[in-house]
Amino acid sequence: MAERSIIDQLDDAVAALAEERQLDLTNPGPELSALVGIAEDLIGLPRETFKAKLQEQLIRRDSMSSPAQQHETNPVRSVSLYICVAGASAAIDFYQEAFGAKEVMRLTEPDGTIGHAEIQIGNAVVMISDEYPDYGTLSPKTIGGSSVKIHLDVTDVDTFAERAIKAGATLVRPIADQFYGARSGQIADPFGYTWIVSTHQRDVPIDEMQKELDKWAQEQSAKKSDEASGIKEPKMRRENRHAVTPYITVHNPAELIDFVTESFGAIEHFRATGSAGGMHAEVSIGDSVVMIGGAEHIQPMPTAIHLYVPDVDQVYERALRAGAKSLMPVVDQPYGERSGGVEDLHGNRWYIATPFVPLQTIAPDLHTVTVYFHPIGAQRFIDFVTDAFGGTELMRHAEGDMIMHAKVQIGDSVIELGEARYPTQPLPTAVYLYVNDVDAVYEQALKAGGTSMLPPTDQPYGDRNAWVKDPFDNVWYVAAPIRVGA
Amino acid sequence: MSQVTESEERLLIEAAQKDPSRFAELYEQNFYRVYAYVARRVHDRAEIQDLTAHVFHQALANLGKFKWKGSPFAAWLYRIAANAIADQAKRKLRESNDQVNNLSASSTATDLEKVERRVRLFRAVDNLPEDQRRVIVMRFADEKSIREIAAELERSEGAVKQLQFRGLENLRNRLNEK
Repeated sequence: MAERSIIDQLDDAVAALAEERQLDLTNPGPELSALVGIAEDLIGLPRETFKAKLQEQLIRRDSMSSPAQQHETNPVRSVSLYICVAGASAAIDFYQEAFGAKEVMRLTEPDGTIGHAEIQIGNAVVMISDEYPDYGTLSPKTIGGSSVKIHLDVTDVDTFAERAIKAGATLVRPIADQFYGARSGQIADPFGYTWIVSTHQRDVPIDEMQKELDKWAQEQSAKKSDEASGIKEPKMRRENRHAVTPYITVHNPAELIDFVTESFGAIEHFRATGSAGGMHAEVSIGDSVVMIGGAEHIQPMPTAIHLYVPDVDQVYERALRAGAKSLMPVVDQPYGERSGGVEDLHGNRWYIATPFVPLQTIAPDLHTVTVYFHPIGAQRFIDFVTDAFGGTELMRHAEGDMIMHAKVQIGDSVIELGEARYPTQPLPTAVYLYVNDVDAVYEQALKAGGTSMLPPTDQPYGDRNAWVKDPFDNVWYVAAPIRVGA
Repeated sequence: MSQVTESEERLLIEAAQKDPSRFAELYEQNFYRVYAYVARRVHDRAEIQDLTAHVFHQALANLGKFKWKGSPFAAWLYRIAANAIADQAKRKLRESNDQVNNLSASSTATDLEKVERRVRLFRAVDNLPEDQRRVIVMRFADEKSIREIAAELERSEGAVKQLQFRGLENLRNRLNEK
């Protein structure tokens, strides 16, 4: 047998070491022996990936904590969040954009399904996977919601929430100072999870917190008994109101409030009985306020609303369970959203939609609740809101002369409209419209063709109000808070 | 990475105690030491990795408690490693009802010399010419065969063996320099 070269002999030795075989070197020279010695010490050379990954783990565990997180003394997380989402990849993109999360790793199947991924938010790791129905791994979308809310400590809750909402999250509870020493609120992501976002402000002793909670509970029960005895509350909420707020008048407002609460997660803020015996109530849905009023003896004025939600399938199902009838099942629409329609027991039409892109990328001021008009003569209607209220057309989709869909900006809100073309339309509607100068807008609206129902008047509830009916029979309650000392 | 002096090391520790993100530098300085130390006693790669990770997590969590008493930071890490190795050995032996006695985890001077030699070797790998370094890393760390490496690097098997030989030769020369 021919003599093997030293290069081959060395490789034989390395192979034997690697396979933990006995070395069989006949008369190795000093050079080969020395090199084999080196090779022996090299067995078990650490992997570069391990070295890098461990460093990453150590750094992310401890050093990324922002000042808000430094009060946590133990950096080791015994409990981590593992969420299942339908569309894990899109969710990872969303969390990166909305929460500033960083992707740590992902394991994907050949079809793109994410079996396991980890993202980092602040100093916590959140694990994510797609749905695996065969293994009982289901997302909120499939099971109709999640009973778990995720608490997120951030350094600046206002900025954080603002960014998240821009990226497509929905405001569920406004950001506010809380009695327990935090400034916090709740936002919903488009995948069915609710995040309590919070910035620690001050330490509050537990007994003080308990006192505050007792006080709140007392107030709640007092409020309930006040409502039962028909006592009117003079104060009205004006925060979180947009320029355009739908005013839905129905025969049985309490029933409608129940419906929007059950179907759309509405939160009731205010309920009172007016001088004419009608109810006035205000609820918020997502980032918007909806006014609901009426009584048996008052002419109802149902409304069509484009309701933008994180998960249309889930909301549509809930609405049906709450008694609505389907106008259209949920389907992907060619115009960039997945949507379905329902009509509630009071004749209001809810076009429920989840856009394929974050809502605010469609129009920055598009809100959860967007009033949808169906005028006869859409072009004239656009002209009217432009002249009367300073509206700006954002987009239109027309077929020939017929405006199928258009968006018009009014103040910090967007309204939508389409030419009336079904028997149930035009469905004239009522809108509460906040402006800076009621008197001036009232004049403008009359000039543009509106009819006066009530000239500008200071109201006992703190607003200056003028009522205008437009040529399409929609009622606009033009309003501004009464200026003190003006 | 080059060795740091005692005073430099002390500064690194103090910096990391104030700001944990500075721990990266201490990690970089000591990774091979801990790894080589563990590898002296444990041979399974997965176990070496688990123990190494454990040592650094422990070190980071307890960094605030570390007090400079003149002995190098590595000695502290070795102690954490020795305890971890002993704990693991005991756990295993309990499972197999074996004797614990001959598994003393304390380190002798020869032990530490061998560890240091290995650390020098690992560092020397980092400084090899790139084509040799890649072959050495793939062969010894990633445990690939010559054929696999040849396919991946698009070189002939002969060329890969040659690079392996040159790499080991280079490493031997560098170790002998000191």
